[in-house]
Amino acid sequence: MSKLFPTQEIGSLKKPADMLKKVKDPNASDEEKIKVRNDAALLNIKTLEDIGLDIVYDGEVRRVEMYEEPVRYVDGFEFAGRVRSWDNKYYKKARVVGPVAFKQNFHAEEFNFVKDNSKKELKVPVTGAYTLADWSYDEHYKSKDELILALARNVVRPLVKDLVGLGAKIIQIDEPAATTHPSEMDIFRESINESVKGIDAKFVVHACFSGNDYKALAPQMPEIKAEQYTLEFANRDTWNTGLGDDARKGFQVLKLFKEHGFEGEIGIGVSDVHVNEIESPELIRDRILYAAKALDDPTKVYVNPDCGLRTRTREVSFDKIRTMVKGAELAREEIK
Amino acid sequence: MISSYTFGIYPRSEELIEATRKNTENLDSLFQSETEEYISIQKNADIGFISDPLLKWDDIFRPFSNLSGVTPTALNRIYEMNTFYRVLSFDGSAFTDGGNTVKSNLDSSLPKNKTVAIPEPFTFAELHTSNEFKRKEDFVINLAKMLRVEIDSLVESGFEVIQLLAPSIAYNKEVDFGVVSDALKIITDGLKAKTILHTYFGDVSTKIESLLDLPVSGLGFDITTTPASSIEKHSFSDKLLTIGIINSFNTAIEKPQECIKQVDEINAQAKPKESYVSNNFDLEYVPKEFAISKISVLGEIARGAKDV
Repeated sequence: MSKLFPTQEIGSLKKPADMLKKVKDPNASDEEKIKVRNDAALLNIKTLEDIGLDIVYDGEVRRVEMYEEPVRYVDGFEFAGRVRSWDNKYYKKARVVGPVAFKQNFHAEEFNFVKDNSKKELKVPVTGAYTLADWSYDEHYKSKDELILALARNVVRPLVKDLVGLGAKIIQIDEPAATTHPSEMDIFRESINESVKGIDAKFVVHACFSGNDYKALAPQMPEIKAEQYTLEFANRDTWNTGLGDDARKGFQVLKLFKEHGFEGEIGIGVSDVHVNEIESPELIRDRILYAAKALDDPTKVYVNPDCGLRTRTREVSFDKIRTMVKGAELAREEIK
Repeated sequence: MISSYTFGIYPRSEELIEATRKNTENLDSLFQSETEEYISIQKNADIGFISDPLLKWDDIFRPFSNLSGVTPTALNRIYEMNTFYRVLSFDGSAFTDGGNTVKSNLDSSLPKNKTVAIPEPFTFAELHTSNEFKRKEDFVINLAKMLRVEIDSLVESGFEVIQLLAPSIAYNKEVDFGVVSDALKIITDGLKAKTILHTYFGDVSTKIESLLDLPVSGLGFDITTTPASSIEKHSFSDKLLTIGIINSFNTAIEKPQECIKQVDEINAQAKPKESYVSNNFDLEYVPKEFAISKISVLGEIARGAKDV
């Protein structure tokens, strides 16, 4: 993208309450449910465009959740039941009971709608093979590696290929589980490379922060066939403005990526998605400028929240994105 | 035949999950009936020592947030799991309520042959914070003092086996076994109950010598992460040995005969003073129907394994 510091979202937004009410209403017709989903997607697209994001999607408003949604449509999985995430929060977890296989492009309707209703560049989020395997019970394959590669080759690759065939140009492979097992980074690298093999598109990898601070990911980055990584930084940075290492503690690992020879783009997380407080535009600006200096190339810096904003209210989410766009504008002015 | 027990938090049923989310009027009675159901399931499976399924516990540390001077703070990932616990901040100089914290969070209908699992001090200190005790060693020792009061109270009310959950000893590459030992000494010195230290979430093959020197009655191993061959190399003649043979992280149900054979092989080599079988970590990592099947298989393995 020719513009400096392009802004983008990462993934999911909280779903509108009226949409949820309607889709759960046993008396609502299929037509009514389709309409309310389309309205919600349109609302998200237009809101993100009006705020001024350069790259948008629909806030994953049609998807149940990033794991459950794809698993519903993939051969070889059976849901086992719910497992705790924390406190009273649970997620549905599936068993792999046979060979995994792609059945249909479960994001096709969603993508076509966004394409028809947006004027901006689109980035399509797709759950990655490593995370699908890590969050499932494997009763079929001999090893976790075997399952991961089967998912990469037989599920994610055909899905991505189909999306690209429909016109998708940027695909974000979501891998929140990737950095939670530092000893498994080799198979993670292989899974991404297998997922994108032979497909002509821009690939972005989103990995959440773990206690390892991306140190295990850094050596793999130049070997993974992704042009961009969207990563979390804000959640461990200070809230003080400034361009010094003390103020920008959360972003220091960027230097490590460069040391390991990664020369691609980084979508820097500038907004903490776990708190309601809104970062100031000046704080966002300084995070961007620090990253530009650390990577020694401002054109490599994209700007996004740390992760999906679905745990925040819609008001807080849009305020955070609005401030992010303002902060990027301030950063561009500094670079002029 | 050898003995058996389970440890950790059990899975809630779909009905109970929904009730906790909606805070329904029958929530308390559901908790109680499901707790009693799990106790019956363990009894029917001939499990040697019966555990409270800890259905009300949000994580294995949460009851300690009720201590004075302790505040729950941010969520943190449990090692490499897709599950989170709340970090507790220990800010008082002495955090105790006279040993009632764990006991008051256990069901009163547990039978005489009962066991309970609580985190050991090193793991506790690794996963939580203190503004009062800046040095890790001081934090560990003070947690041990608090836990001893809790354990004394549990032993007084009839718990014969106290399991000490030690995932950080397994997971961390570097472990100061001197501090671990000092803390465990505070807990076990003169205690009239068996104490079994459970390692999981990491391979402890290279740490077994150090573990055998710790002042506890026995050691428990997750054999999905610590290979049986590593355990078999060591003599357990002075220790109890618990083989964590039931995998709580997979829905595949273990084949009893294969497990019995494996347990017998380990015991034949390690020659423990006493032998137990258990799950490898909290059963709540599989949904309820799978947990029930696994408890039944655990009982079958214990019945089929040769006495040591």
